[in-house]
Amino acid sequence: MTSRRTRLLAGVVAAVAVIVAFLMTGLGRDPSVFASPLVGREAPNFTLPQLDGPPVTLAKLRGQVVVINFWASWCTECQVEQAALDQTWQQFQDSGVVVIGVNFQDTVDAARSYVRTDGVTYPVVEDAGSKAALAYGLRGVPETFVVNRSGRIVKHVIGPVGAPALASEINSMVGTGAR
Amino acid sequence: MNAAGTLRRARTGLPGLLVLIALAAGLATLVIVAVSGRPPASQAQQVQQIAAGLHCPICKDLSVADSPAPLAQQMRQEIAQKLRAGESAGQIRAGFVAAYGDSVLMSPPRQGVAGTVYYLPVLVLAGGLITAFLVLRRWLRAPQPGPHGAGPPGVGPPQASPPQAGAPRAGPPRAGASQDGPPQLSAAQRRAVARAVARLREEEPG
Repeated sequence: MTSRRTRLLAGVVAAVAVIVAFLMTGLGRDPSVFASPLVGREAPNFTLPQLDGPPVTLAKLRGQVVVINFWASWCTECQVEQAALDQTWQQFQDSGVVVIGVNFQDTVDAARSYVRTDGVTYPVVEDAGSKAALAYGLRGVPETFVVNRSGRIVKHVIGPVGAPALASEINSMVGTGAR
Repeated sequence: MNAAGTLRRARTGLPGLLVLIALAAGLATLVIVAVSGRPPASQAQQVQQIAAGLHCPICKDLSVADSPAPLAQQMRQEIAQKLRAGESAGQIRAGFVAAYGDSVLMSPPRQGVAGTVYYLPVLVLAGGLITAFLVLRRWLRAPQPGPHGAGPPGVGPPQASPPQAGAPRAGPPRAGASQDGPPQLSAAQRRAVARAVARLREEEPG
């Protein structure tokens, strides 16, 4: 009887240990980095009209690192990350890095006003019809995709991005050449 | 109108031939409809069908067909455009899965890890039935308790000796019942034992 109880207890302890170990694997993961099905795949191409400038075609930027940030003027979290994106653009634009803001479900007037008021310096395009947003599997704003020089998505961040994390990601690509 | 009559009229000339052709065309239509099932859905119905199978990415538990969100509306427009471009429903669904992952589907796919939700209940049910069968068989084969036990009447093991006249009849011996275990006594034998024990107690000194 005792050995049967011992075996039962050992089984319960082992089951609990397996469940705890499984749950602990998620503790070290950054919740803002999303396991997007697009990561590792070629970034969907788009040609979108710029708010103030010629249209932007992603395929023409092949060979450069591209940071694609989906945002909207009504999005408060987008304002939080605005400074980080501008800082990244200022820091890396001469190193073969392009930052593109893709305006999502917004009016052109509101987007223009936001760009002027908040001093957005990088190119901003308008995604009327959300075609690009649907191609990138967007679930809300802000969301940011980092595309390497080969045109593949290497990172998908949900929520505001930080300048240090973005700089670290870009440095790893700019420093080692095309990847 | 029967077939023989139709044929007789067909022989009479062109009107009969036309009747035959009309009948053949009607029969062919019935066969085609029966084989192909429902008539082809309109594009709006196709959009609705595909959208009903997709989860609105910015909603909570709403399909693209049911959601009033602007993004869901744009997804419906995208579906309509792709249908006009000649894409099949499967290709359109695959396009959304490529961007959003399997979570965009209202029902999980039948292959891969997600497919276990379809097969696991069947496997668990089959396992449960097999376990129940094995337990039941073991229980039925196990030795039943004696007449003083809690077993159901009439299913006890075979009698140790033939029942005497006037003794209550036990049920027939159950097939497969064990012959081992303590000797079983009939009611008359039990009464005889009880009387002997009583006599012994009376003869005990003190």
